[in-house]
Amino acid sequence: MNNSVRFRFVIRATLILLAFVISESTAHAVPAFARKYQTSCQTCHIVFPKLNAFGEAFRLRGYRMPGETEEMVKQPPVSLGAPAYKKLWPQAVWPGEISSAVPLAVNVKMAAVNTSSVNDDGSVSRVRNDLQLPQEVNIFGAGTLGEHVSYFSEVTFGENADGSVAVELEHARIQFDSPFGPEDLFHFRVGKFAPNLVDGFQEMWIATNAGIDSLFDFNPIGVHGGTGLGADALSPNAIALPARIRGIEGYGIINHRAMWVAGLANGVTAPPGDTTGRFDGNNAKDVYARFDYKIGGMGLDGDTGGQPIPDKNWRDNSLRVGAFAYRGDASGIPFALETADGAQVIEDSHFMRTGFYASVFYQDLNVFGVYLRGTDALNTTDAATGALLHAIEPDYHAWFTQADYMIYPWLQASGRYETVTPADQAVQSIRIGTLNLSALVRANVKAMVEYQRDLRQGDNHSLNVLLRFAF
Amino acid sequence: MAIALFATRLLAGDGGPAGTITGRVRWAGSAADLSSFVIWVDDIEGRFVAPRQPAAMNQKGLRFVPHVLAIQVGTTVVFPNADPVWHNVFSISEAKRFNLGMFGRGTIRQMTFDKPGVVELLCNVHLEMDAYIVVVKNPYFAQTNSNGTYQIAGVPAGRHRLRCWHERLTFQEQDVDVPENGSVTVDFVAPK
Repeated sequence: MNNSVRFRFVIRATLILLAFVISESTAHAVPAFARKYQTSCQTCHIVFPKLNAFGEAFRLRGYRMPGETEEMVKQPPVSLGAPAYKKLWPQAVWPGEISSAVPLAVNVKMAAVNTSSVNDDGSVSRVRNDLQLPQEVNIFGAGTLGEHVSYFSEVTFGENADGSVAVELEHARIQFDSPFGPEDLFHFRVGKFAPNLVDGFQEMWIATNAGIDSLFDFNPIGVHGGTGLGADALSPNAIALPARIRGIEGYGIINHRAMWVAGLANGVTAPPGDTTGRFDGNNAKDVYARFDYKIGGMGLDGDTGGQPIPDKNWRDNSLRVGAFAYRGDASGIPFALETADGAQVIEDSHFMRTGFYASVFYQDLNVFGVYLRGTDALNTTDAATGALLHAIEPDYHAWFTQADYMIYPWLQASGRYETVTPADQAVQSIRIGTLNLSALVRANVKAMVEYQRDLRQGDNHSLNVLLRFAF
Repeated sequence: MAIALFATRLLAGDGGPAGTITGRVRWAGSAADLSSFVIWVDDIEGRFVAPRQPAAMNQKGLRFVPHVLAIQVGTTVVFPNADPVWHNVFSISEAKRFNLGMFGRGTIRQMTFDKPGVVELLCNVHLEMDAYIVVVKNPYFAQTNSNGTYQIAGVPAGRHRLRCWHERLTFQEQDVDVPENGSVTVDFVAPK
């Protein structure tokens, strides 16, 4: 790939980055739980959707409070069978429950968008005060179905500039909680979901509107390895680190402090134009694993060991560290590439993403980050003849660090630095800075000002004012 | 409780003729919950010995139970946490500012309320939890039951000012002539 092609890649990727800054984020505060327990959002959230330690335990326990009692549940469930039927099984259906109220919640996001972006020809395009009212609406359904079953689903409606609506089924999963063994040692989930592989730094759990594109949106496809962001433009399922998967995952909490995760996913989806109707681009599956340990603070299952907890719901003086790995197989899935030498096809026969996660909470400050290394096995062939042109195994690495600081119980400031060093050494590393100020007007109404800037190219930046509310 | 109140009044030297005030509180045009009204005789001064038996404000099911507790000034209230989660109890009310800190299941903390007034309780872990302790300066008070009825016994005979409180109301007041024996009925209608 010559320099002009690489340059165009970088610019295009940067533009795509800014587009994602504006449009891609997901809120996961679920007012259905507030109704179920008749409790404030602040019981589980710091500034929604970011979870506090109690909220993380609630989520990991399959949407059950630590030590939950019947009195805590203000919406008694509808019984689908008396408990005594458990003794009759297998001569009867095992009894279950559903919630008495329809467990739906709605999140609305509105934005006033200001962007500046550098075009291919070097000119700068600017958008001023584009009132995207609304930008998206999410409908959630979440809850428990008796003692050992829980679920989470989300449908997102995004309005396009032409007035049409894009609909995406972002989550739909069922989970079996502690079906056997000690409590919380084993949970098992099936469906489409954000994997616990990326717990703590996927967009649904962070305070900023913009996701961490350096990890989830890097495009490793390139003649010399990846050059920039915008993986979703080439594949419906990001080939970097997946923000969501279709798959099966087991996870559990060991002795209150350790978390294990192991999963199997469909992986990269079928390319555009595929007529088979398949979800998986090939017959191979991706696999992943993660292991975390938490020192101090509340246990991952909500255990406090009888020790007093801080008097502010966001405080949880602790250190949590984790290591993760994702092995993907995109063999047989073609990625088309136009080069100066003609049309080519790149196949990523297998790839690895390995990394570390750390999060420190101290009083009103939370600093967390991830380091990730990616390796791909790229085979480039001539699109016309199919002849193998070259095969490489390039590495890239990416990391970010973010600090969230509670100024008041309703006001949080965040700052993030993220960078990707592509495998193609002719391309500069990508560096992005993000600043965010979030204010809770109410527990379920949030106003944000967020500024994001390409630290390599100052004319690539955005300043957005956002309003989110959930009910 | 009734014996304690009677003894209290004796110790206070209040051995004169006394009657009973009974009545009913209702919301105008509504059948909403009637059990959270507190009615007391506001103009009887004196030194009254507080009950030795503490009153209880529980934390159970992510709620304060009861939602309204009426006590005589000088009463100690215990706060047992019966939930499997940590709670905190604090108040910024003029009548009593305090913070019991965070405490877990099975722990009981306590506070003595030494000034009359209304104390609103909050929990800084569960922002939706609230309750009221109405601290009355004498033993002549009652809290309505679920039907909205109340009874205050042993009230010294004479003309008195009766006050009615609910968290959603400003105070309502009525004058009452308490007979030397027997009872008198005073009803309140709270505006919705």
